[in-house]
Amino acid sequence: MSPAYILKRILLIGYTLLVVSLIVFAITQILPADAAVMMLGENATPDALAALRLKMGLNDPIWMQYLHWLGGVVRGDFGVSMRTGQPVAPAMIEALGRSLLLALFSILLMLAVAIPLGIVAAVRRGRAADLGVSFLSYIGVSLPEFVTATLMVLVLADWLQWLPATGYVPLTEDPLRGLRHLVLPVLTVSMILVAHVSRMVRSELVDVLHSDYIRAARLKGLSKRQVLFKHALRNALLPTITIVALDVGYLLGGVIVVEEIFALPGIGRQLIVAIQARDLPSIQAGALIMATTYAVANFLADICYAWLDRRIQYD
Amino acid sequence: MIEILKRMLRSPQGALGLVVVGLILLVVIVGPWSAPYDPEKMAPLMRYKPPSAQFWLGTDQYGRDILSRLLHGARATVVMAVLATALGTLVGAIVGTVSAFLGGRGDEAIMRTVDAIMSIPSLLLALLIVNLLGKSSVNALLAIALAFAPGMARVTRSVALAVRKQDYVNAAIARGESAGFIVGREMLPNVVAPIIVEMTIRVAFAVMLFATLSFLGLGAQPPASEWGLMVSEARRFMHLSPWMILWPSLAIALVAIGFNLLGDGLRDALNPRT
Amino acid sequence: MRETILDIAGYGLDYATPSGFTRALDDVSLSIARGEVLGLVGESGSGKTSLAWAIMRYLPATARETGSIRLTGQDLLKASEAEIDAIRGRRIGMVFQDPSTSLNPTLPLGEQLAEVLVRHRGLTRKQAWAEGEARLAHVGLKVPRQMMRRYPHEASGGEKQRVVIATAFACQPECIIFDEPTTALDVITARQILELFKELQAETGVASLYISHDLALVSQIASKVAVIHRGRIVEQGAVGDVFARPQDAYTKKLLAAVPRPDHRLVGMEAPEAATPLVEVEKVSVLYGRKPFLGRLLGRANTQFTGNREVSLSVMPGEILGIVGESGSGKSTLAKAMTGLNRFEGEIRFAGRRITGLSDMDRAYRREVQIIFQHPDSSLNPRQRIREILSRPLALYGEPGSRRDAAAIGELLEQVRLPAAYADRYPHQLSGGEKQRVAIARAFASKPKLVICDEITSALDVSVQASVVELLVDLQKRFGTAYLFITHDLNLVRQIAHRIAVMYRGDLVDLVDIATLSTGPLHPYTRSLLEAVPAPATAAA
Repeated sequence: MSPAYILKRILLIGYTLLVVSLIVFAITQILPADAAVMMLGENATPDALAALRLKMGLNDPIWMQYLHWLGGVVRGDFGVSMRTGQPVAPAMIEALGRSLLLALFSILLMLAVAIPLGIVAAVRRGRAADLGVSFLSYIGVSLPEFVTATLMVLVLADWLQWLPATGYVPLTEDPLRGLRHLVLPVLTVSMILVAHVSRMVRSELVDVLHSDYIRAARLKGLSKRQVLFKHALRNALLPTITIVALDVGYLLGGVIVVEEIFALPGIGRQLIVAIQARDLPSIQAGALIMATTYAVANFLADICYAWLDRRIQYD
Repeated sequence: MIEILKRMLRSPQGALGLVVVGLILLVVIVGPWSAPYDPEKMAPLMRYKPPSAQFWLGTDQYGRDILSRLLHGARATVVMAVLATALGTLVGAIVGTVSAFLGGRGDEAIMRTVDAIMSIPSLLLALLIVNLLGKSSVNALLAIALAFAPGMARVTRSVALAVRKQDYVNAAIARGESAGFIVGREMLPNVVAPIIVEMTIRVAFAVMLFATLSFLGLGAQPPASEWGLMVSEARRFMHLSPWMILWPSLAIALVAIGFNLLGDGLRDALNPRT
Repeated sequence: MRETILDIAGYGLDYATPSGFTRALDDVSLSIARGEVLGLVGESGSGKTSLAWAIMRYLPATARETGSIRLTGQDLLKASEAEIDAIRGRRIGMVFQDPSTSLNPTLPLGEQLAEVLVRHRGLTRKQAWAEGEARLAHVGLKVPRQMMRRYPHEASGGEKQRVVIATAFACQPECIIFDEPTTALDVITARQILELFKELQAETGVASLYISHDLALVSQIASKVAVIHRGRIVEQGAVGDVFARPQDAYTKKLLAAVPRPDHRLVGMEAPEAATPLVEVEKVSVLYGRKPFLGRLLGRANTQFTGNREVSLSVMPGEILGIVGESGSGKSTLAKAMTGLNRFEGEIRFAGRRITGLSDMDRAYRREVQIIFQHPDSSLNPRQRIREILSRPLALYGEPGSRRDAAAIGELLEQVRLPAAYADRYPHQLSGGEKQRVAIARAFASKPKLVICDEITSALDVSVQASVVELLVDLQKRFGTAYLFITHDLNLVRQIAHRIAVMYRGDLVDLVDIATLSTGPLHPYTRSLLEAVPAPATAAA
């Protein structure tokens, strides 16, 4: 892995964020015929509208509005929330922290469950265990988060009363209660990921197990176990890194729904609130932060992959 | 075509997928006529009924028959998802083909931009678009189509590049065929199959995304009997009647499972590995 | 009589399929004694590899067996899984066809050798690495210590195959199965690996089963030979006997199909002509594009050369052979001449100068046709043969010329295929039949030059022979000139009037076939000639 490769990837992140900023700006500020009317509603007085237009710089040419906004973003200034009157950035960063906690737990749980499931399914290909995993994963990928979340609340919170249905307690305040509140959201978010990743692990491992070098290893007299753990897993799990990184997109989408359902004050909930309140600066900030998270996750995955896989000469 | 169908029926996924999707399409076509009740007819005395001989799946908070609502809602849910996916595929396929055809720097620029757009989660992109275009089913359809286009562009491009490397394309170039003939007659028939597979699987995802948008209040609007909306409305009453939330959830899951199975079955039927 | 190591008696193998059993091996009996090399010769699908898997006890659950396979008396069919694990790699070693796929890409070469020593000889990891280094030195690797730490992608094909061989010999097994160990390698490397095999075999006296499709090669290294066809051993015996006095019809056919340079299929002299049909003048091809970022960082240009100022000419009706190892630029030149690669320099065809793709008009393309190596890839899987063959007729045919079923039928009969094949899809044809369709397509426009890019190398020997015969026949009928690209020197010596030798993008030699054995040659050409095994009958 050369410095040029890393530099190239970093430049790509820059390009990605530039494109995303353009899209977000276009959707929020250009697409609506009049952003001021959109924010204040149809019944706003002309004076109020004019004042808002002036304040938001809506009378400037579009490209100047964009550059002005982008200049602020680069300095970490996303503007002031239309809803609360507070600067957007600090609230968003705080919310992002809570969401990342949810995402991290979900990814860890997913890896802990999906990888063994995928391995078992691949090794027992065509047998009961494989069919079972395959059946579960079809159900997993076919249930939207809002359905799983609702059903889990119904069973685990309402009927069995094992877990709290909604709400959020910071881990620093009361770790145990905080964790209890996180269980349902984490379960919900990781469900689709488990289903998807276990299928990927299975198919990668099935391919690897059919490769010439695995056969060669078996014919050298190595045991099935040795061949699986030493020769096969390494090659099968490498592509999983990329798949997990790409799944961060699904994960973030899931986070939006889950935070809304469980009233978890993360960045997804902030976004929904902002969208409902038509709070443009908050929407822009939230969307940009989410895209950045995704881009950074993929950057880290690529670096990780390049570091682990010595075969590929990156330039 | 018949051969593909035969091969699909031989694999368990393919056969099951065909049956499930076939049933769903049947419901979409004849659903509204086969419904036992008017889906919007309220019956204050018949609220929150569990399943019974009279109301097979029970009734909702206004006493409306859930089965009838599901049968009517199939169109809103499934047809919208299929249309959105088809539109997204079309846009993506054009962009992907152009990119593969251009090659070199043009290809790289287009693909980097596609990657950049893909860094906005599909759900978020759809949320933003719907919110600003206005809440409605049609806007949700457009939003989902736009959210799918980048992914489909990537798939199309990689398939097209793989086909482009085949010697029958080289043979056509060496023969002096026109670009139109090469793309249309030599490449396209070989590119279409994998795209249809990807599209089928994405219909499942579109159904879920569409339902999610409705659930968040940004897709179909009451009193429509779109399934995601039904789940959303039923949440408030889930303590009174869990049936209300169970049936539309199951319906969504069934459609998604059906299209996932069909896609996997198609993939196996089109690329026999052994 | 020396001790028998491997004894296979009345062995039969069937695979259970949904539609019943398919027979892979039928009543196979053969034995190998200490110090012996048994060459097992057969074409693809003959069951030779199935036999290797059967001996290694690596069969799918659908396999049904009869008979016995004994290793110094122990019946392997009755051995438990644990016993088999202890035998594999310890008492029976195996060398695989392609070292680039039989080595794990993510483990160092040394680890893949050392693990066998740890497993079977109970060495510690440290001891195993030291021993491994000695083993690598023994198989002729120059820098064994570094080689131990390298990954497969950091070693050449020949080096990797040496590591695989060292691994197979590591535990001094009684028997080693060699499954086409040189097929994936270049001619010269293959020769070196073969020499290594002979040395190690003589030194250790290991009983060897050498599987190959190449009769010439087997005649050089084996003491006994068995010919396998459709799962049956049709003939076996001492190499000299079998090759000199083959008894079985299939063996005779196989022997007749082996290309022999002394057996010319066309005359030595090309037809007389005043002016060349095509002249290639200083044609260069560069691959890859200049990396933008790399240039920014002042890194070296990553473009590489496919052809460097190649000049040659082809006379009307001449067969010009082009030989060289993979990556030498043979196919690159073919692609440049058919407008599939950008090139610098110029091509002159029938008096016209062609300096770029835009100069290749319909007239040029009609006169210059190309046939590719893999018919699977060169025939569109979604078009019927009719559609495939009617394209050149539609494209080049004069107005009013026929494109009907009869015309397609004639094209098919010209390549000795039934006219009824017009309605089939490519996947319904065998490999040889597909290649005939590709030939028919190339000849549809009655070209003056046909470029054959390794068109027989994906085919079995007997199929190759009939395809070559067809080409020679067509050449005589139409007076077409060929640019015949191949890595098979024996084959090209049968049919070419002149031979061009390419090495790493350069044209290093261009000699008349008559002077090939006498005239002055480039050192690379000489080593190429020396590396090619003499054909089978020479051993008799």
